[in-house]
Amino acid sequence: MKIAPRRLLGLLLAGFLVAGGGVAKAHPHVWITAISELLYAPDGSITGVRHAWTFDDMFSTYALQGIETKQKGVYSREELSSLAQTNVESLHEFAFFTFAKADGKKEKFLEPVDYYLEYKDTALTLHFTLPLKAPVKPKQLVLEVFDPEFFIDFKLADKDPIKLVGAPAACQMKFERPNDGAAGAQKIGEQNFLSGGANANYGAMFANKITVDCP
Amino acid sequence: MRFKSGFARAVALGAAAVVVLLALDGIAHVLMAQNPFGGPPPAAEPQIGGIVGWILAKQSEFYREISTTIRAAKSDGSAVWTLLAISFAYGIFHAAGPGHGKAVISSYLVANQETARRGIVLSFASALMQALVAVVIVAIFAWLLNATASTMCNAEKVIEIASYALIAAFGARLVWTKGGGFIRALQVERPAPVLAAVAHHDHGHDHEHHHDHHHDEDHVHDEHCGHSHGPVPSELAGPGGWRRGLGAIFAVGLRPCSGAILVLVFALAQGLFWAGIAATFVMGLGTAITVATIAVIAVSAKDVARRLSSASEGSGTLIMRGIEFGAAGLVLLFGAGLLFGYIAAERVTCF
Repeated sequence: MKIAPRRLLGLLLAGFLVAGGGVAKAHPHVWITAISELLYAPDGSITGVRHAWTFDDMFSTYALQGIETKQKGVYSREELSSLAQTNVESLHEFAFFTFAKADGKKEKFLEPVDYYLEYKDTALTLHFTLPLKAPVKPKQLVLEVFDPEFFIDFKLADKDPIKLVGAPAACQMKFERPNDGAAGAQKIGEQNFLSGGANANYGAMFANKITVDCP
Repeated sequence: MRFKSGFARAVALGAAAVVVLLALDGIAHVLMAQNPFGGPPPAAEPQIGGIVGWILAKQSEFYREISTTIRAAKSDGSAVWTLLAISFAYGIFHAAGPGHGKAVISSYLVANQETARRGIVLSFASALMQALVAVVIVAIFAWLLNATASTMCNAEKVIEIASYALIAAFGARLVWTKGGGFIRALQVERPAPVLAAVAHHDHGHDHEHHHDHHHDEDHVHDEHCGHSHGPVPSELAGPGGWRRGLGAIFAVGLRPCSGAILVLVFALAQGLFWAGIAATFVMGLGTAITVATIAVIAVSAKDVARRLSSASEGSGTLIMRGIEFGAAGLVLLFGAGLLFGYIAAERVTCF
């Protein structure tokens, strides 16, 4: 009986491991390289966001499966139009992985417009514009692009990832990339594992954060 | 037999190692988080590798290498070997993530009086079925019908729902039978005092012959076998039990993993479908090893619980029936949770 407490500990630990197995997180299956533009109206208010998302090799191939083309390996914008439609419709469920806050208040987006797919160098790029439900003119706008479940790994392009289109001259833009992926994954994974936390905001660690300050 | 039990021991050993590693990892983190100067904890945690984080980083790495290697295999046949090695490693790491029936299989094993060996068999069978389902889906939809990804994805969704519904139904049935056992244990005023706990014994064939008839309700323990059996022993180890084991394999293995589907479609597009199929099965093998490890831990934990509870007089049977009932409830909860979206499984790629 002396060793019973230790055994009990072992039991708890094992149970923990089994339960923890269900908590452990997924890893990304899709990689997106993004270029984002913030769109401004002449009066200096923000009207929406335009994205260009390039999918990785494997997902691009997967998405193109079964799409008929006149010429093998060449996909025109028209031939890809129904796929683009499917893309934007499905993205609705995930809030387009785009999260905006104007002076700390969450902003909503309307359904995407001007969307199309482009195929180049074995990769698909999805272009679409997300209009804000109501244009805003905040002192500070924070835009984050990420997948809360981290099924998709968003990376903003190395070169010119963000453009402010028609922004007032005084506006200053700051851009933070997610922390080094592996280190971030380790930290958050550990936290969630130990606290048994929900899936909810797991991917926030991997968010690309854009901050625009307009005095 | 000797080989088999050796194998079981090896898996158990691996399981123990994982537990120890996780414990050490946790301790390391607690120690690291404490500021030796008594002030507030340091803001940035030093980059000491958390094992869970490391697993995440690794599987991500392996997964990305799969597509590169398939492309390489187009011109260089020897890259297929690299592909298989990466797929195997990926499978091992990947099964630590959501899905793959770890929780369901483990709970099922605990709910029923299952041996570690049977846990291993169930894990391998369900993982291989998962691989097979992925191959069949891609073979039919992409290869034969040349259907689009979204058609394939819709099929996946239907299969997913069916799988979750089956798990829930399976759990409900377990709850039903285990609930009976639990209530009976509650009703027995003085349960059999000694439950001889024999962790490893042959749950094999000769056993089954004795058991294909129902025992009476008051027959709480099964003396001629020398180990504790529930009030409904014949259902567990007898032929019906194996059939129910098949139910578990089917319910869990029905849902393919999204990663495997992506890899298969990609391989097909590169004209290397066979390499994709081989990679998928090797991946399944890796997955099975992880799932089996966790299943063995669950079974061993229950054995420990049984030993502990047999020491406490009288209530031992009640505790064990309670644990079984709880585990059965977990299977039902997992099924229902997955079905109604409360538990996040790996997302099906439908965009």
